[in-house]
Amino acid sequence: MIALLVLLFIGIILFEVPGLVKKKMWRELAAFSVFLAIGMALSIPQALGATLPNPMKAIEALFGPLAELLK
Amino acid sequence: MLERGKIDSKQAVFLMIALVLPTAVLTVPSVVAKLASQDAWLSVIVATLVGLLIARLVVSLSLRFPGKTLFEYAEEILGRVPGKVVGLLYIWWFLHTNAFILDEFGAFLGITILPDTPFLVFFIAGTFVAAYAVRSGLEVLVRYNQLFLPLILGLLCVIFILSAKDMKVARLLPVLDTGLVPILKGAAVPVSWLGENVTFAMIIPFLNRPKEAYRVAARAVLITGFFLLVSVLVSLAVFGPNLTRAWIFPAYNAVRVVSIANFLERLEAAVVAVWMLGGFAKIGVFYYAAVLGSAQLLGLKNYRPLVAPVGVILVALALLCENTVVLFDFLGRVFPPYALVFELGIPLVLLIVALAGGKGGKKS
Repeated sequence: MIALLVLLFIGIILFEVPGLVKKKMWRELAAFSVFLAIGMALSIPQALGATLPNPMKAIEALFGPLAELLK
Repeated sequence: MLERGKIDSKQAVFLMIALVLPTAVLTVPSVVAKLASQDAWLSVIVATLVGLLIARLVVSLSLRFPGKTLFEYAEEILGRVPGKVVGLLYIWWFLHTNAFILDEFGAFLGITILPDTPFLVFFIAGTFVAAYAVRSGLEVLVRYNQLFLPLILGLLCVIFILSAKDMKVARLLPVLDTGLVPILKGAAVPVSWLGENVTFAMIIPFLNRPKEAYRVAARAVLITGFFLLVSVLVSLAVFGPNLTRAWIFPAYNAVRVVSIANFLERLEAAVVAVWMLGGFAKIGVFYYAAVLGSAQLLGLKNYRPLVAPVGVILVALALLCENTVVLFDFLGRVFPPYALVFELGIPLVLLIVALAGGKGGKKS
């Protein structure tokens, strides 16, 4: 699982980065890297079997009182 | 300009229908019947009226800033930093909502026809097809949708007509027995779904005739509302309120029981086709909104490099949802207030501030 995921990331990098470097689109490259890093942070722990904090819980806590009205 | 594509009014109507209908048409009956029982169809009518108001609000706001998307005029209205914060919130909401759409997409296929396939496969398939369309540009996404949406609507009409034999109008009675409050509560979920039309604010700048945006939005909401209404009526008339709320996809089950002359049977395959074709379009529109918005927020010249990383984030977010029960509980209870902040709250504040500050041109 983790090997496939690493392969996927290598594939994405090989697919996008050479073109960006050739066209000197540094801003785009930076944005790409940030988004890919977020993607890695969200996916690699899950592939290793760790449980990540679920944003649904936070949203439920935030909107809980209003959500109670819909019972 | 990040996007050079232009779409015409008919394509925009189709896109807005695809923005809401595909996942809503099968899930709305059960969620609404839980709250409003046999009056669920009245909730859908109320929701459609509110949906029209939300669409009108979004179009009024967008037309004050011709050629600009939500992310660009939020900065113009609120100033640089607060505008960026609003943009960031919207990127999050587009991504998170899209993760829910993927979850629903996977849940439907997993529950109905492919019970042994891991949801991850559905998430990757849905995201990959949508990513290809988004990377190819708005026009490709729109043309895909223009090709398949008439087929989707046609198939829905045919299968709903075929289930007429199993319907009993008596199952819709007594009308208004539950009182007004459950009907209004029941309207909250379809409102939050019809309110997803706020994503249209990312598309309006690319209309070739922006002046028609009001008509486009109204037509799309009415058609979507009509199909939701029919879906709820069919589910209720075939099963009655108790069975409708017990199932996750009552409209799908209504089609399963269709049997005409022992020959025309197992039409649910058509529903699955509708779900998949529409699902890809719906995932694609939200995907596009998130990617284009991110590129505008960060001032990029091209949004295409972001498509692949955002796809990874989408699949990872979709996997975070533990199971289908948690998902539908969340969608029925927490999603309406959460979504309405983005669908009604923020656009309303933006419009009021724009009016007060005299920002934006006269409505054209």
